[in-house]
Amino acid sequence: MIQFENVSVTYPGGVEALRGVDLKVDAGEFLVIVGLSGAGKSTLLRVLNGLVPATSGSIIVDGTEVVGAPAATLRHVRSRTGMIFQTFNLVHRTTVLNNVLMGRLSETPAWRSTLGLWPAADREMAMQALERVGIVEKAYVRASDLSGGQQQRVGIARALAQEPSLMLADEPVAALDPVTSRQVMGDLQRINRDLGITTLVNLHFLDLAREYGKRLVGLRDGVVVFDGDIADVDDATFQEIYGRAITADDLLAIGEEPVSQPESTNT
Amino acid sequence: MSSSEGNSARPTRPRIRPRAFVIGGVLAAFTVGAAIEVNFDLSFFWEVWSNPLWDMFWPVPWDWVFDGDNVIRPLIETFQIAIVSTVIGCGLALPISFAMSSLTTPNRATYLVSRAVMNLVRAVPDLFWAKLLITAIGIGAMAGSWALSVFSLAIMVKLFSETVDNADPRPLEAARAAGGRHAPIVRTGVLPSVFPEYVAYSLYVFELNIRASLVLGLVGAGGIGRVIESQRKFLRFDRILGMLIIIFVVVWIIERISVSLRKRLV
Repeated sequence: MIQFENVSVTYPGGVEALRGVDLKVDAGEFLVIVGLSGAGKSTLLRVLNGLVPATSGSIIVDGTEVVGAPAATLRHVRSRTGMIFQTFNLVHRTTVLNNVLMGRLSETPAWRSTLGLWPAADREMAMQALERVGIVEKAYVRASDLSGGQQQRVGIARALAQEPSLMLADEPVAALDPVTSRQVMGDLQRINRDLGITTLVNLHFLDLAREYGKRLVGLRDGVVVFDGDIADVDDATFQEIYGRAITADDLLAIGEEPVSQPESTNT
Repeated sequence: MSSSEGNSARPTRPRIRPRAFVIGGVLAAFTVGAAIEVNFDLSFFWEVWSNPLWDMFWPVPWDWVFDGDNVIRPLIETFQIAIVSTVIGCGLALPISFAMSSLTTPNRATYLVSRAVMNLVRAVPDLFWAKLLITAIGIGAMAGSWALSVFSLAIMVKLFSETVDNADPRPLEAARAAGGRHAPIVRTGVLPSVFPEYVAYSLYVFELNIRASLVLGLVGAGGIGRVIESQRKFLRFDRILGMLIIIFVVVWIIERISVSLRKRLV
């Protein structure tokens, strides 16, 4: 369970990314966060695992206070928290498997991971994570040789290899085409359902948010302006969150029925 | 908030700023002034060319040159010095470069201390390092190896820490988000991205070391340079020419191999 209490973040430049955010997320929820770029979505995810320090307030993640926590505590919280990035953040010049093994960093003795001598158990877990996202056959391929969709699946596998109880996805499909976007969102939804991992996803496509979210949080200028069931959300709600009329740019695909795609179409 | 269309007249071409001419003029004046100051004179070439010294370079005594102990063995020693010092220097440069880069340094103190130490090391000329170490541990290949190790370290850190600075920070963020400690984060998140450059620079440093160990030999630090120096004292320039030809061929071959390896790496 996650609890934000009056959380504010002010960046060194003076930008107020979050202002007095109160938010409670129960275990196993699938939460979609929407808002314009610069509304504080990325910051909201990054204060959770301490990548960005909160300026004030309190954030409790599974009973642990994150704000002002010492390095060891932060490492513990991070080890239980998988993170997926807009730009995938893979190491391009090494294999897919090595990228996924990064998810085992917190559990493996530092000298072993530093020397690259990963225990067989860790390698096995990394392989299983790759199997779960359906690209285990790419394990020994260089990450740079994969397509964008495949790279994001490696990113998901890396997060899964941590055996997390919480998953943070920061605009996971913003760099992908519509078909791949739906596959990746489907992966996230399946993981949330099958493994019961609490999942927070930043999105800026409103139709994707409607399609995959259960609960929606709207951010505007660092303030939570909407928090409720996705079923209650209509265009007026989105307009309120965005502070302007909804345009075609806010939708992944207009006038199209969501296509349910078969598993990855790569060779 | 999106801007309206239209209003897309072509901009006028910006004028070359007069500052460029001023800077160019100052540089030219400075160069001419410096040449006058050091009595730079083209008659120097004629003086060198007409020197009777040149007759002493010919003919090359090839039997002496190819007699194993005279040239080949010291040349192998030069090699050994270059290899040992490349391994030591580049080996130390790896962790130090990570400590010196703002992207990968574990903390501010390590960052500042490693930068200060490396600036100090670089400030001391390599020939002075060689003389210092010869004084400390005596004439020979050992002193040469240590002096060149320091030299390699200084160059390697300069080249490689720049690569680390420019490495992609995003995998590092991913590794940090996975809850790793500092060293493993850098190892898994950054090293694979910069390792090809590391190997390529190490090969380059090895090339430099072959040539630098010749120079260091002149001051008594072992290898072929020492033979050149002793033959120079006897004014045996014919033997020296023979050695220089051998060295030229060997260095050229090494460089070709190294260049083709480096091309394949990066």
